[in-house]
Amino acid sequence: MIGAIWGMARHDLAVWLRSPAAIAAALLPALGMGVLVAVLTNSVGQQLVALVVKSEGRFAHRMARIIRGDADAYLLEEMTEADALRALGEQRVAAIIVVPENFDEAVAKGNAAVDLYLNNVDIDLADDIRRSVTRSVAEFDAPQLGLLGELSGPSAGTLLPNPYRVAIAEHDLRATNVSFLQYQVIPIVVLIVISIGLLGTALLTARDFERRTAKLMMLSPAGRLPLVVGRLLGGALITFALVTPLVALGFLTHYIPYCAEDSEAPLWLTLLLSGPCGWILPVPTWTHGLALFGLFAAVTLTTVGLGTLLGIALRDARLVTMTGLNVSAYMFFLGGGFTTVAFLPDWIQTVSRFVPTRYAIDGLRQALFYPDLIGFERDITVLSFCAVASCILASFTLARAWRRG
Amino acid sequence: MRAVRLFCAGAELEAAQLRSNFWFVALTALAAVSFLVMVSLFGLTGAYAPVALINLDGGPYSQSFIEALNGAHHSFALKYMSAEEAETALHSGRLVGIITIPAGFSADVARGITVPIDVRIDNVNVDMTNDVQRALPAAIVAFGKRHNFPGVRVEMVEHDVLPHDTGYIPYLVVSALALDAMVIAGILGAMTTAREWENKTVKMLRLSPASSGVVLAGKLGVAALVAATALGFALLAIIFVYGVVPVAPWATVFTLAACVAIFTCIGAWVGALLKRTLAAVPLLFGLAMPFYVDSGALEPTRFDGEAIWIIAHLSPVYYAVGVLEWAFHGLHVTPEPIYVNLLVLAAIAIVTAALTLGRLSKGEAR
Repeated sequence: MIGAIWGMARHDLAVWLRSPAAIAAALLPALGMGVLVAVLTNSVGQQLVALVVKSEGRFAHRMARIIRGDADAYLLEEMTEADALRALGEQRVAAIIVVPENFDEAVAKGNAAVDLYLNNVDIDLADDIRRSVTRSVAEFDAPQLGLLGELSGPSAGTLLPNPYRVAIAEHDLRATNVSFLQYQVIPIVVLIVISIGLLGTALLTARDFERRTAKLMMLSPAGRLPLVVGRLLGGALITFALVTPLVALGFLTHYIPYCAEDSEAPLWLTLLLSGPCGWILPVPTWTHGLALFGLFAAVTLTTVGLGTLLGIALRDARLVTMTGLNVSAYMFFLGGGFTTVAFLPDWIQTVSRFVPTRYAIDGLRQALFYPDLIGFERDITVLSFCAVASCILASFTLARAWRRG
Repeated sequence: MRAVRLFCAGAELEAAQLRSNFWFVALTALAAVSFLVMVSLFGLTGAYAPVALINLDGGPYSQSFIEALNGAHHSFALKYMSAEEAETALHSGRLVGIITIPAGFSADVARGITVPIDVRIDNVNVDMTNDVQRALPAAIVAFGKRHNFPGVRVEMVEHDVLPHDTGYIPYLVVSALALDAMVIAGILGAMTTAREWENKTVKMLRLSPASSGVVLAGKLGVAALVAATALGFALLAIIFVYGVVPVAPWATVFTLAACVAIFTCIGAWVGALLKRTLAAVPLLFGLAMPFYVDSGALEPTRFDGEAIWIIAHLSPVYYAVGVLEWAFHGLHVTPEPIYVNLLVLAAIAIVTAALTLGRLSKGEAR
């Protein structure tokens, strides 16, 4: 029996690896999403801003130094007023910050202004810049409202009075920040699992009906059960074969010497390695490692079962591809791909409770980025239930469908 | 007259093929609406970080400070809960942070004493962390301005280029229309030509004395019509569900029609190149996301840096988004004028139509 199961799984693996269109169908959309995240990483956080300092006074210099110092918020370029206006018109900068000629005199009178000329094309971009410039300007009168003050001012026991009468004592939950790319790549990995597990198994199942090879399998002396189990095992193996190297790469990138920030590698090498170096996963403890494995196994089996059901229901490779791509996209976004479900409106959170990928993404983020496993029990229980239910249902349905040809 | 009959025959053939592939067409249209929904979900988390607020004071100044937090550039979605609930939510990734207003806040502020607000941040996501870190000083400044506290010497004066901000979701859904056009028209165009190889009818097309260009035009015309109908539903959803009404309705309709024609031609070329629908569909889906994001879909592309902006010119969606954002919101999101974007789109359509015809007639010369 084990030989028959293994034979069926190997057969499916071989068929799948010989189908470039199927591999492309499963991988290309997920890789497209990956490119999207990589591009987004470049565009979040910092904005291109021009700085025009029209005064030579000491306060104007201090104001400019504060703005230049906030490198986390701006990609700053100092220009003349005319150049800055041209750059704003040509969209080379999103805003211009102007420290006016009479700045020092106005400061002495207590009514100085820093002008912000803003391309408020959409509210997300405009608010980012408004927040950043407001902080920089506030720092002039209240130095502890700057990032350094937030992190190591009142929170470290040093409180300086300020005219706004409120200061910030920030306490971060963890020692290091997780990069935007790291945080968002987790859903991409889950999307790859969904795409390969769901589409791969669905296409294999539909192919049997299109080519009428299902009847041949029924005539095999191996029996129905080993063949059905072999199909599910094959789908799971395909998924593991493609996802394992990707996750392993996330851990191995720690050992690439040129990924360190102070690396003296040439620019071309730094640029070439920026993709892999951005894909660094924190090395988990053994308990968190086990949790990761459990979550991957459960979500893989869930998608393999669902893929089999999809293939039986549609029995047409083209329909399976389109349906699979739609289903994968919904499972990805409603499960928290590119978003955090807890941050969405209540009704969407309610809908997402019925989407298994939500538990996979939540669980994987918890296991990789948090020191404890709060909520893991719920995530693994739901996913395990989905895996068992979809596999049992898929087995019965597939056996019956093959019998009827 | 013969050309007209040929065109109609090609169109009838394609219509019959699409009728027999009804579910495939329906699923392609569903994908279009799905993109709108997904882009909206992304937009919903672009602002309003969920933050727990624990107010241990309850005095007038703390209420005023809470109002300032609520008004701080769409930054916080304040949640009121107990300290224990907030702690649990923070550790399980359901909150970005906890802001605690201490007891005696109002009394101290009234006496002119600077009060530290305790802020605990789950800095797991650097983007959200940055937003919160920048929004808190903005709220404090607004609080100080509201009460005219003495000692503030400098303030920011904002001059906006545009008379009003465009909401993030209205901005995103319009650019999603260009993505929709690419996916729907591209897939239907690809199916039209790839089918010739899948059904082995390409030889008949080549051997026929009829002009393959006219037959192809008829077939692609129907594919484009179906794509336009599906896109029409997406457009209606944007107008009636999202409430985003184009400032230039005719320009919008014309641009969308042009996008459909162009992307149908591109899809036809991809289909003729790959010769299999199953290979063309995932390729178009896979290309859709990178093309979309590097097209000014989230913000004008040039703000992402010169390198990304130069690469964006390879994407037809870049030009389409440029025209659509202008037609819907009156925004200029590309440095190039609108007519240049339209001319480039037309040029792409002509080149891809010629390339498709070249692929279909390949072999005639041999």
